[in-house]
Amino acid sequence: MLAKTKRGLWRGLAALMVFVLCLSLTAGSIMEANAGTIDTALGTVSSGFVSEQNAGNPLYDKFSPPAEYLNADGTGNSNALISAAIDLNRREAAEGSVLLKNENNALPLSSGANVTLLGIRSHSNLLGSSFGVKAQGAYISLEQALSQSKTDFANTMAWSVGSRGAPPGPTVGAAWTGDEFDFEGAGYNLNQTMIDIYEKLGDTYVHYENEPAAEVYDPGEPSIDEIAGVNSDYKSSFAQYGDAAIVVIARPSCEQLDYLPGGVADGLDFEHGEPFSLTKNERDLIALAKECSDKVIVLVQSSASVEIGSLKDDPDVDAILWIGVPGCYGFLGVADILCGRVSPSGGLFDIFTAYNMSAPAMQNMGKMYYSNTEGTITRTGGVLGFNPGAYAIEAEGIYVGYRYYETRYYDCVAGTGGADSSAGAYGSSGGWNYDDEVTYGFGYGLSYTTFDYAIEGEPRFEISTDPETGAPSAYATFSVKVTNTGSAAGKTPVQIYGQAPYTPGGVEKPAIQLLNFEKSGVLAPGASETVEVKVDLQFIASYDESYDNGDGTKGTYIMDPGDYYFAVGNGAHDALNAIMAAQGMDESRMAGKGNAAQAYRRSITESFISKTMFSVSKTGYKISNQLPYADWNFFQPGEVTYLTRADWAGTFPKTYDNMTLTNQQLIDYLNGKIYELRTSDDTSDIKWGVDSGIKIHEMYGVPYDDPKWDQLLDQLTLEEAMYIFSFGGPSIPGADSIGALETYMTENAGNGIAVNLNASKDPDAPWAIPQSDTNGNWHPEVFANAPMGASTFNPELMYELGQFEGIESLFTGINILWGPGLNTHRHAYNGRNGEYYSEDPVLSGVAAMEFAIGALEYGLVAAPKHFAFNDQESERGGVSPWMTEQRAREVELRAYQIAFEATKYDTDDYDAGMRGLMTSFSKIGAIECTSSYGLMTEILANEWGFIGYAVTDIYDDVDLWTAVLNSGTTCFDTRGQEGFYKSTTLDSCFLFTNQMYSDPLNAHLIDGDANLQLKLKDAVHKNIFAWSESHLMNRYNATTHFGSRMTWWRATYMGLEIGSGVLAAAFVVLYVLSSTKKKEEK
Amino acid sequence: MKKLNVGGYFNILAAILGVVGTILTIVSSTMSADNTLAGLPMIAAAGIAGAVLCVLAVWTSGRFGNFDLIGSVSLLAAIGLFFYTFGAAVGQRVMMIAGLFSFNAGNTTGWSVFYVSVGAWACLLVGCLVLIISGFLRTVKENA
Repeated sequence: MLAKTKRGLWRGLAALMVFVLCLSLTAGSIMEANAGTIDTALGTVSSGFVSEQNAGNPLYDKFSPPAEYLNADGTGNSNALISAAIDLNRREAAEGSVLLKNENNALPLSSGANVTLLGIRSHSNLLGSSFGVKAQGAYISLEQALSQSKTDFANTMAWSVGSRGAPPGPTVGAAWTGDEFDFEGAGYNLNQTMIDIYEKLGDTYVHYENEPAAEVYDPGEPSIDEIAGVNSDYKSSFAQYGDAAIVVIARPSCEQLDYLPGGVADGLDFEHGEPFSLTKNERDLIALAKECSDKVIVLVQSSASVEIGSLKDDPDVDAILWIGVPGCYGFLGVADILCGRVSPSGGLFDIFTAYNMSAPAMQNMGKMYYSNTEGTITRTGGVLGFNPGAYAIEAEGIYVGYRYYETRYYDCVAGTGGADSSAGAYGSSGGWNYDDEVTYGFGYGLSYTTFDYAIEGEPRFEISTDPETGAPSAYATFSVKVTNTGSAAGKTPVQIYGQAPYTPGGVEKPAIQLLNFEKSGVLAPGASETVEVKVDLQFIASYDESYDNGDGTKGTYIMDPGDYYFAVGNGAHDALNAIMAAQGMDESRMAGKGNAAQAYRRSITESFISKTMFSVSKTGYKISNQLPYADWNFFQPGEVTYLTRADWAGTFPKTYDNMTLTNQQLIDYLNGKIYELRTSDDTSDIKWGVDSGIKIHEMYGVPYDDPKWDQLLDQLTLEEAMYIFSFGGPSIPGADSIGALETYMTENAGNGIAVNLNASKDPDAPWAIPQSDTNGNWHPEVFANAPMGASTFNPELMYELGQFEGIESLFTGINILWGPGLNTHRHAYNGRNGEYYSEDPVLSGVAAMEFAIGALEYGLVAAPKHFAFNDQESERGGVSPWMTEQRAREVELRAYQIAFEATKYDTDDYDAGMRGLMTSFSKIGAIECTSSYGLMTEILANEWGFIGYAVTDIYDDVDLWTAVLNSGTTCFDTRGQEGFYKSTTLDSCFLFTNQMYSDPLNAHLIDGDANLQLKLKDAVHKNIFAWSESHLMNRYNATTHFGSRMTWWRATYMGLEIGSGVLAAAFVVLYVLSSTKKKEEK
Repeated sequence: MKKLNVGGYFNILAAILGVVGTILTIVSSTMSADNTLAGLPMIAAAGIAGAVLCVLAVWTSGRFGNFDLIGSVSLLAAIGLFFYTFGAAVGQRVMMIAGLFSFNAGNTTGWSVFYVSVGAWACLLVGCLVLIISGFLRTVKENA
């Protein structure tokens, strides 16, 4: 009996230990498959490069951080790095905040003032986006910036809000135990009564530093009654803190969600029934501020146009300052402006309209689906479960943002095109009227001083054509004399706009468009500076889709002969008024006055710049239509009417909901039928696996077209190349044949590198910050949302931000950054606007270019996203934005073109450019962007000369592997996939098992397709070239190999495996022994 | 056949849970073409084999007595097989789940797959726990 009991005991314990063994084996397997992600989260290092380092085999000799960020022993100085980040974010916010209104000398408000802060967002600050460009870790709050002089990071950590089902949590996992930093704040005395009230109300109105937009929006602003409910005597505090009342109003942004037309929570009495208008509680706050003080200052936080016309018109609201979504330390910059330490110098990144719904783009925004999706679209939603059959007809054509409002205004004054009809009028009573529709114009911003702008003399034109390629080079450099005419020191953007001659019925042209900008230095009162602004005249040319190129193709850029106007101004409206004044238009019909001295007219003749000069790209490639499938009318003619200034009333967009798919080619494209895999090509001429003895460490600095690359590429096996194309990061496969190792290379985002200092992917770098560093928990994603950067209108600051993130990347070991966001704002409601700079392609493109070139200086490849047309987050996975090719090229694509061409940084010896991008989830018309040959090869590579890493968004279009390869995309974002050639193989990875038009992915899939093999070589070439230009090359020499390292989590699961295995075996032995004993007893 | 004791009923319960867990795993893999599990036949076969071994352990106990060697080996193997089915599925769903709780919360198909998968994993894990308890207990009544 006893023996039987023991047998049961041993058997039960054996079963328990087998369970533990299985559990630890499973956990170990999953952890190893996600080791890179775990390392990032836990700050561990589970693998790395192992190299000998000697005179013949140097390491870390290509890129290094500046000495100011290093300790005496060469290790990284985290305190210096954080101090620099604080300073840079401060300057970013100080230059990017836009003063929209300042009356009665409300601002600046001197130090020592007694101030009351109102609005729950004054206490629960908005710092970043939910997902996307999140602000992470310890920060400086608005209250601290206004009243303190030392950080309190230990008690000021940012929190994010998750999405469905995810509880909110701190953006960085552990509390701050590192250094605290001194700073110079505004020096105000704050009303503690209101701070205490908002602290208490925070229990009910829960806000986080990174918060999402919402399809049904509620800003979560407490009512006056609720304030009184916490402290009925709160108004008695106003007398002591009545020097000024500062009200904070905020509208967040985020990935995945949009605001929607009419999407507002019930019972809040939004002023216009729309999410960007003010609720009753917010309006009541303004009234309360007036009770509190004679000086009412409103701080507006947003990444889009907030409908604040009523505040502009309210004489008792003294000042309005847009402060964006400023990042972790940006409130210091806001404090600098408020107290007058810095004079504001930002310009608006988007036009602020009275009613966002008045934009023609808003007539076709949101969730629209084909009427016959079911049964017609057979392609599934992919591994991310996207909803097939969504689309947006961008019937506004080129008239996006200020291009619409300013052009319509111009035509109103000119009396042409029926511009003053009531079509599209929201704020106007009767006919459309600029002043009633627009609150603050694009590029507009006030200062504490005033400036006078004048174009000095004739601009310097440099016009030439490459005799061999026909590539144009056409620039006009304007010398603008800027004079500080006020009484305070300050700097100002110098924005050059242009207007091309328009003929009704001809190619659509906006009445005004930004061509380039610079920023002056700080000018003392009365001082002047001549600022040179170089304009690429290509960007005043127009894309004519119907132009007959005479070679069987259609469509190219044209430069119509005629009078071209250029102007400098405080924003687009001021510049347009200057042009209108120069044209002698009726001032009585104008909104504001124009100064003709700010404008310049140039008659352009065929002999000066030929009509087709820009029909050839800077690479010498002939330009023609490449995106016919972007236009709905290409498939189903006549069903969509695009807006034209020749007939504003007759073509103002209607809403195109429930479109019906009838064209079979359109349906085939939507179903992903784009590329037909070949199976029997002769591929014998395509070399794979030919060993030339070249290793990857030899490729640093080798020009892209050097024959050595061909040798390296021929050395790869076909299978290795397929791995590199299939798995594009964050972990990227190695290739034994060229000595490349599997590496965690890429991360988000545009506002910093999303890896803690103590989780560096390159812990062996001499400047690595040790895990024991008390500041190791600092997370470098601290900078502002993109619109703040754009609003600085300061190319040097944009460059400096890129440089700094490049330095961050050296400390975090990330050599490719998935950012910045570079799509243009189609409308205010795109939840992702916080990640994208602006509605203007030149402002966006220059910002991204400066950032990327600055980052590359330290070996960081910036990969802007989402190329292209991510005009909404609603149904972002595969939504079809339909548009004309002119619209595509002159708005969305122009931003990317400027950044990728990076002409400003070209030299005789070096073709500068960005070395990375991420494609969009969306389609362009009928075809996925990832799979569009016209977009990815013809335009991106051939016209713009892009060379580099072009990755899809996460798991996007993995079912179209062959089509994506054919298009020119160079790899897939396969986050979470690691252990290549072993645990993750081509044919075992779940991502590629469901292929629409081929067998599941396997190493022999393209054995018989010569085209795809050549495309594969090209893709891999571009990927490895991008690696070779990055600081990844710091880690390679001839001796480099892969090394696994012990981590605490690895030790834990291995210990469990061994312990449970041993115990299980022991209990089995005991069980067997007791069984034997029982038999003997029998 | 001897009458079942508590351990025997637990084995049968574990077998049922294993079968249900395996079926749910198959369902989660076939709900959409984009969420199929690589190696599904092997995963399903392991789950079913585990369930069969649970039943086998009962049968051998009835034939050879409680805590018999074959039954005990079957029980341990069943735990391993259930865990294989569980682990292989979890490993392939990690990134989908991470997405659902972050950037891809709107993936309604993914949520459906997630809920079914959680059901499957719960069945398989509870099945393992039931087998552990069963390991300590007699499978059949010896005086019957």
